Amino acid sequence: MEIAVEKREGATVVSIDGSVDGMSAPQLVAAFREQIGGGNPRLVGNLASVDYTSSAGLRALLETVKDARQHGGDLRLAAVRPEVLRVLELSGFTSILQVFPDVDAAVASFTA
Amino acid sequence: MSSGPGAAVEVESLPAKAGSGNRVALVIGAGSVKCAAALGLQKVLAREGIAIDMVVGCSGGSLYAALIALGIEVDEAEEMTRRLWTQELTKKRHYASLLRAMLPQLFPFQESFGLVDDRLILDRLKVAFGGHKFEEARIPLFLTATDFHNGEQVVFSSGSLVDAIRASIAIPYVFRPWRVGDRLFVDGFLCDPMPVGVAIKHGANVIVTLGFESPYQHRVTSVLKFAFQLSSIMSNNLLRANYAFHNLAHHTEILPIIPQFRERISLFDTDKIPYVIEEGERAAERELPYLRRLLGMTNP
Repeated sequence: MEIAVEKREGATVVSIDGSVDGMSAPQLVAAFREQIGGGNPRLVGNLASVDYTSSAGLRALLETVKDARQHGGDLRLAAVRPEVLRVLELSGFTSILQVFPDVDAAVASFTA
Repeated sequence: MSSGPGAAVEVESLPAKAGSGNRVALVIGAGSVKCAAALGLQKVLAREGIAIDMVVGCSGGSLYAALIALGIEVDEAEEMTRRLWTQELTKKRHYASLLRAMLPQLFPFQESFGLVDDRLILDRLKVAFGGHKFEEARIPLFLTATDFHNGEQVVFSSGSLVDAIRASIAIPYVFRPWRVGDRLFVDGFLCDPMPVGVAIKHGANVIVTLGFESPYQHRVTSVLKFAFQLSSIMSNNLLRANYAFHNLAHHTEILPIIPQFRERISLFDTDKIPYVIEEGERAAERELPYLRRLLGMTNP
């Protein structure tokens, strides 16, 4: 899994490339935690290049959103592929996480 | 035995296997004909040499869980379910139930209520599984139903397969609850449409799930469709809630297999079973690379 971080006005975009699963989840959590710990709790998870998520991936997202909200921010998802969105819907994540069609919309939601 | 609603109760269970390796479970949830996708999934797992340590089934999934656990070949299983699950099953009403519902002062209402005459489904289950017991299964098999009187999840793992499947598919309002011993059972989906917890309880640490949201009726034009609609609403909300809980509360790896159907698959679309199996195979192929890595197998 490749992770790229980009600072934008109002939010930090974390772009993920690969699967969010039991093998990559610790790396993802660490990347998000680093941002939150560095004073950037307003996070956008760009999932445009994520083709799969398992239960470990869901746990990583939940851990991050709780952490971000405790620090006054949030984790919002952008550009989620249909196959990943179906897992998020099935597990009820779309009722607790805000999902946006693209990164710009997700970033803008923090300043709206 | 736990007594709270929703708690799992074992009718009889197999001991969990000892060992430090992965224990792979296949959980086939509710979904009527769509559950045939499990046969496609099983084809892929067998081809890849991925052994299943246990099979768990619920509602429509109980039919396919039993077929897979018994080691019945995919072609034969497909043919068996095409013969078993047809529109004809709901054609005949259970008039005694209707009279008891409409005229309870003349015909006292009984808890064994169902709008459909269930003799045909029982006859067909007997033809398909009549002589078989859980003990004959090649893979440990667990089928779930719901205790009508207290809402507990009940896990069948021994005795008659016909009784367990009939209990597991007792769709509320449609098929009458089914009595086994001194307990009355309704459909397994009423406590958990995708019983991942059963696999976790029995020591699985890699759980491949196949389950579906129930389709909603386009138009509700009969009492039966009204009943199906209510069941779908309850079942789908329960599925999401329980699935979220199991994903987040345990450290077990749960891999959802989600076939993509380009066309609507209704409750009795048995003519679409070959297509459903194909989509199950395709969906399994998509998850295969991660499953292989998880099991320490080398990807080609």
